[in-house]
Amino acid sequence: MATGFLTDTTVCIGCKACEVACKQWNQLPADGYELTGDSYDNTKTLSGTTWRHVAFIENPKKKRLTGDVDLVALAEDVREQLPGGAELDALGRWAFMSDVCKHCVEAPCQQACPTGSIIRNEFDNVFIQPDICNGCGYCIPACPYGVITRVPEDGRAFKCTLCYDRQKDGLEPACAKACPTESIMFGEVEELERRAEQRVQELHDRGYTSAFVYGTPEVGGTGGIGGNHSKFILMDEPETYNLPRHPFLPQEKLNQASAASIAAAAVLGAVVAWAFRG
Amino acid sequence: MTDVTREAPQQRNGHVETSHHPRKDDRRQDKGYYDIPPIKEHTWTWEVPVYFWLGGIGSGAHVVTTIARMCGNKDLAFLRAGRYITLVAMMLSPVLLIMDLGRPERFYNMLRIVKWRSPMSMGTWGLTLFANLSGLAAASQAARDGLLGRENFLARSFAALPDRLLSILAAPFGVFVGAYTGVLIALTSTPIWARNAVLMGPLFLTSAMSTGLSAISFVLNLGGWGERKTLESLQKAERASLLLEMGLIAASLLRMGRWGKPLRSGKLGAAFFGGTVAGGVLAPLALLQGRESRGRGILASLLVLAGGYILRRAILEAGKHSARDPEATFTFAWQENLPLRDENV
Repeated sequence: MATGFLTDTTVCIGCKACEVACKQWNQLPADGYELTGDSYDNTKTLSGTTWRHVAFIENPKKKRLTGDVDLVALAEDVREQLPGGAELDALGRWAFMSDVCKHCVEAPCQQACPTGSIIRNEFDNVFIQPDICNGCGYCIPACPYGVITRVPEDGRAFKCTLCYDRQKDGLEPACAKACPTESIMFGEVEELERRAEQRVQELHDRGYTSAFVYGTPEVGGTGGIGGNHSKFILMDEPETYNLPRHPFLPQEKLNQASAASIAAAAVLGAVVAWAFRG
Repeated sequence: MTDVTREAPQQRNGHVETSHHPRKDDRRQDKGYYDIPPIKEHTWTWEVPVYFWLGGIGSGAHVVTTIARMCGNKDLAFLRAGRYITLVAMMLSPVLLIMDLGRPERFYNMLRIVKWRSPMSMGTWGLTLFANLSGLAAASQAARDGLLGRENFLARSFAALPDRLLSILAAPFGVFVGAYTGVLIALTSTPIWARNAVLMGPLFLTSAMSTGLSAISFVLNLGGWGERKTLESLQKAERASLLLEMGLIAASLLRMGRWGKPLRSGKLGAAFFGGTVAGGVLAPLALLQGRESRGRGILASLLVLAGGYILRRAILEAGKHSARDPEATFTFAWQENLPLRDENV
């Protein structure tokens, strides 16, 4: 049985309950108090000590606003008064998104890990075994989503475990449990896929035609990753949520890279033999 | 506020400019999220570029002496230089690698699994085999050179080892150690490395060869050891490998395209072009023209060795810059993996 998350960003209210619940349950240290000025986001990014991160996206749509905007005119009639054809939608919308490890079907971090610390557990989640990890740091640049970091005080790499411990006891992950709007859903991947499609269809029917599922092989998960077990319903371009549009499996190029190295070795060997001949 | 009528807004890199969001707020962009990098940069410290460099030197020195011996070279000073350089490099390499771990005391966990898809796992095994085989060859050499004392059990056993066979067995693993470091960083999500995935192994291997050759000729020239013929052959091989290295650097820069910017601009670009391209490849190539000379040989070797280190260091640094640039990640992840159908975008 494969379990995963479906994070429906359209109903997220940016309460950060998931972030806090995750920190509490997993006993993750605080990250200090930097105030970023980036909307309400002072967490900034996922890391070894932050396994859920709520992004606050203001003005998610592409904008072409220039010059002084007459706010009164804006309120009265946007499209005619604004130069460059900006949309009211662009000023008014505010998007939230609770980001988490994507639990890739073909996980680059898992393939990179030289100790076998990163495994797929019985729930088909990508899990870093903390008793094996020796902090080599190779999973960090391997991850196409920037999920993993090494915790300096500890030396090991950490990321979302999809609450392996809670799942073993038949509980849902702490973030999903804490989510007050059911923006974060937990369950079997197949079931979540069905729900995601249904929800997107519903949104389309209501006129929100930009809604789509991120994490299916079609969108997010091409290039060998084969989709994610953490899926998201997004309303905007993936980049707006700091997600790559088409993440790729770096190890896909292993055969090409090896073949090229062998060819180079043959050429260099011949060159040395030529120089030392006779 | 600038005069907006003169310039089309689209040409402004998409920055929002309104009365309540003045243009100085550069982090507001069309794409991305407050310019926060969507991927993480590697966290390897100084030990790693030093290892990449030393491992390359050991690999090159071993492979060169082994091939030369197979081609009939009988110069003992040359063989000694090659074996001892490899020995020193292979003794320092694991120390550096273990030091860089977040949990050095758990280094042995690298040896609990063999993983074909992980260049770091394969690298661990390749390095272990190469270091041990070449180390035994070097120990046998040391025993024959009388460095282990005479007439003791240890010296007699090492001297009895089939050193030639050991060298030949170690050679393929030596080649592997020279190349895999390039492949290792190429198989990541860092755009500048991943873009150049195919040429990264060949580039590192060629640099391993040129630095290995230079290390040997440096030692021989400095000590006034080695036969004239060997030194000439070394010079020839150095010239050829530097030419290949130049070609691979040029091809890599072309292949990297817009994602190669960190290596072409700023201080890093200056260090790379000055230290590696001009100082580590072109200048030694010029010095190595014409007849073999001791002084020029020493200078050229030092330049190649320094250039080889700067190459590893600059490429590792460039990876950090590349990972910090959200635009690089977004465009790379997009262009490299065009989907079958571009829906919803």
